[in-house]
Order: sequence, then C-alpha cells, then structure tokens
Amino acid sequence: MIIIAPFAQKLSSGKENPKNYPYWKKLVDLIEQPIVQVGRSGEHQLVHDFKADLSIPDLRQLIRECTTWIGVDSFFQHLAWDEEKPGIVLWSVSDPLIFGHPENVNLLKHRDYLAPNQFLHWDYTKHNPEAFVEPQEVIKHLTKFL
Amino acid sequence: MHKILCSISTRGRYDSTLPLALQAIINQTRQVDKLVIFDDNDDPRDVRGELIYSHFFKIMDEKGIPWEWQFAGKKGQHHNHQIANRMGFDWVWRIDDDAIPEPNVLETLCKYISHDVGAIGGSVFTMPCDTKPNNASGKIDLIDQEPNIQWGQIVAPQLVEHLHCTFLYRAGFHDFNTGLSRVAHREETLFTYGLHQKGYKIWAVPNAVTWHMKNPQGGIRSETNQALYEHDERIFRNILAAKDKTIVVLNCGMGDHVVFSHVLPKIKNPWVFTCYPDLVAGESIAKAESLFGSLEQYSVYAWMDKHKWKDSLQSAFERMYL
Repeated sequence: MIIIAPFAQKLSSGKENPKNYPYWKKLVDLIEQPIVQVGRSGEHQLVHDFKADLSIPDLRQLIRECTTWIGVDSFFQHLAWDEEKPGIVLWSVSDPLIFGHPENVNLLKHRDYLAPNQFLHWDYTKHNPEAFVEPQEVIKHLTKFL
Repeated sequence: MHKILCSISTRGRYDSTLPLALQAIINQTRQVDKLVIFDDNDDPRDVRGELIYSHFFKIMDEKGIPWEWQFAGKKGQHHNHQIANRMGFDWVWRIDDDAIPEPNVLETLCKYISHDVGAIGGSVFTMPCDTKPNNASGKIDLIDQEPNIQWGQIVAPQLVEHLHCTFLYRAGFHDFNTGLSRVAHREETLFTYGLHQKGYKIWAVPNAVTWHMKNPQGGIRSETNQALYEHDERIFRNILAAKDKTIVVLNCGMGDHVVFSHVLPKIKNPWVFTCYPDLVAGESIAKAESLFGSLEQYSVYAWMDKHKWKDSLQSAFERMYL
C-alpha cells in the first residue's frame, strides 16, 4: 500500500498553496498499487480510500504499514521521516536542502523555481504548475521502492 | 568599515533637549552613516522646517549624513528601536532624546567592535551627579543591589551583562521585546542581557561620556499608569527567573515540531512552550506570551531569515538552542 499526502496546509488568504502538486490525478492513474490518501477533511479526494483527520498515533501506524509514500512539503513528510519510512517528496518553491530530509527522494525540478525568501508565509508566493516534475518522473522513482 | 545607524526615539522634547542631542550627533568625531529620528509625540509637529531643526538637517546634508524623520506608531520606544534594529545596518547607536554624548563617544565605542561583541556603552551621567566610579559589577543577578555601572565613571573596560540608556549594539541579532507596554520599562536591560545570553560580549568602556539632561517633563517613557510599569517589571522578572533554563517557544508548524523533537533531548534544562503538545510536550504559547512578552525572538523562521539560513531546519534549531 502506498500513502499519498497530496496537500500542504491551507493558506489563510484562501489562495492555492504553492507547494501543492498540480498533477495528482495523472500521477494516481499511473500507480498500480493500492493507494491510501491522508489529509484533512474538505480536501479534494483523489482515491477511493481517503482517511481524513487521522490522529497522530493512527497516522504513525499507517506509515508503518505502508510500502512507501508520496507527498508534498508538508507535515506528513516530517512525520514519515520520524518513523524512518522513506518516501518521495514533490517540491516546487520550498527548498529541500532546508525543509527536506536526505533519507527521502526529493524531486525538485529546478532550484530556479525556489522562492527567494524561504521564510515568509507562502501566501506571498504564486502557485506555478511548471515548477513541479512530471508524473512520469515520479513513477520512475517510485518503482525503486517497490 | 561597519555601517552605523544612529537612532533616537523622541517624545515631548521638541523644544528642550532633542536639538542638543542632534547637535551632539552631528559633531561626533566618528560620523554616523545615517540618523533616524522616531517621533513618538502624542501630537506630532513637523519641525523639519523650523529654524534650528532645518539648520541641523542642512548641516547633515552638507556633511553627508543621511537622515530620516519617521512619525512613529506611538507604541513605545521599543517598537522604534526594533525598526532601527532591522534597518539593515551592522550596528545601531541608540541615543535618548535627553542624552548628550560628548564628541568622541561613538569613536570610542567603535574601538571595541569585534566579531564577538554585542553591545558597548560608556558612562551616562545624570545631572546633578557624582562622576566617581561606582564599582558596579554589571551582573544581572546584582541589578537590585548595585547601581548601574554606567551611572558612574568607568575607569577601565569591563565586561558586563547589561547596559541601559544609550549604547552601540550589533544590529539584527536580538530583538527588542515588543511585548512590553508603551513605557518599555527595562527594555534596554532586557535587550542587552539578551545579547549577553546569546554569547556576545557586553562592554562598559571608559572615555565615552554622555550627559543625561533628565527632565521631569515629557520623555519617551512619560506615562502615569503604574500598571504599565508593573506589567513590564513582571516580564523582566520572569525572564530573569528563567535565566538558567533554555526557553523554547515552538510558535511554528506541526512539521517543525517533529523536526524539533530530534533536537530536544540535547537541550540543557529546556522549558518548552508548544502549539502541538501531542508532538512535543510543553506548556501553551499563550502562557509564554504572558510570561515573557514578545515571542518574536523565539521564532525559528525569523531566526533563519535573520541568519540567511541555507542549512537544514534541524541544524537551525540546533544553532538556536544548543
């Protein structure tokens, strides 16, 4: 089973979080293994099995049970790192050298897309679909975990 | 060459000591790189065109001293000092609007600038006064038992733990506590002691005399509400009481808490305040705010921004707390 944690925290401005991967639908269609989506209720449901608002212990348990996971730069990647379960993080504007963990596969298309100031609220940064890697690139790395 | 900003907060002194302070700044043997005046008056008056002031500003133009007059937010001088602290200069020389430095003060203070120094201050004589040495240690633990070292003649450079009134400080490395009330009681003691706690040397040095022309009228702390002083004194005492603990305020996201949890076991005597106690156990952020005032200085994001951080978040926490 593969966990996906598709969305970063909602922004107070209501704008799309620039860390959110724009090609989830396409990516999910390319994955043959069973997928469990985790996140907050109200987030867009991408797969049949969506476990929303899990407690921290339940989320930890699920991480222990999964083969691997795919997520964006959000709380989940840190929790999975804490559980010593490597996965794939899809980066865009935040810097994996600062906020990532080398134990994971950190897919950043190019450092030119990184926000000039990494420490401001993300409301100030525009969502740019071009900043992310393509789903085929993600699948290439996912196969290494399977 | 270090860039030095001179910062004055003023209130109720347009027609008394502020012009004297400006003249003293103009006549420094080490010229400042900019002067900023924060006008915190209840009823501000644009004095820039008035006779004496306009002459002073023309002299500054002539001498190549950039100057800026800011009508401030009337929230107290600590807010103004915090703006000066973040104006991008290497050092800030803060002067009170009733403190008249002798012409060599800045030059003398600058002689003590070094990579490990946080602040440097000279004697501040309040008239009428006794200009003899007072043999104070400048230790924070003795703040209730001894006079401030700056109130007496400083005969030799001395490492201390706090300064008051006027001093030169390393900019951008510690925040003024903007959680204090408008009177900003103890703000400079907390600020310089904070630099000391961060490992920077605080010097009290000789041959840098400022004359404090204390005036019972006006002043940046002019306020009759005793409760404001009590509020600030409580914050000051709380910070002092926690001086042997490592105060950790996790006013950040859930992921940051997880990363921090890997640093926590290495921290000596931690006192943790947390947003997510199920990730990192501790007391509430509201309690931290009530105990210590402003929490800005504990923000890991502000810290990383200040240090133009390029390394990992975990390393940032380690640098902050270990």
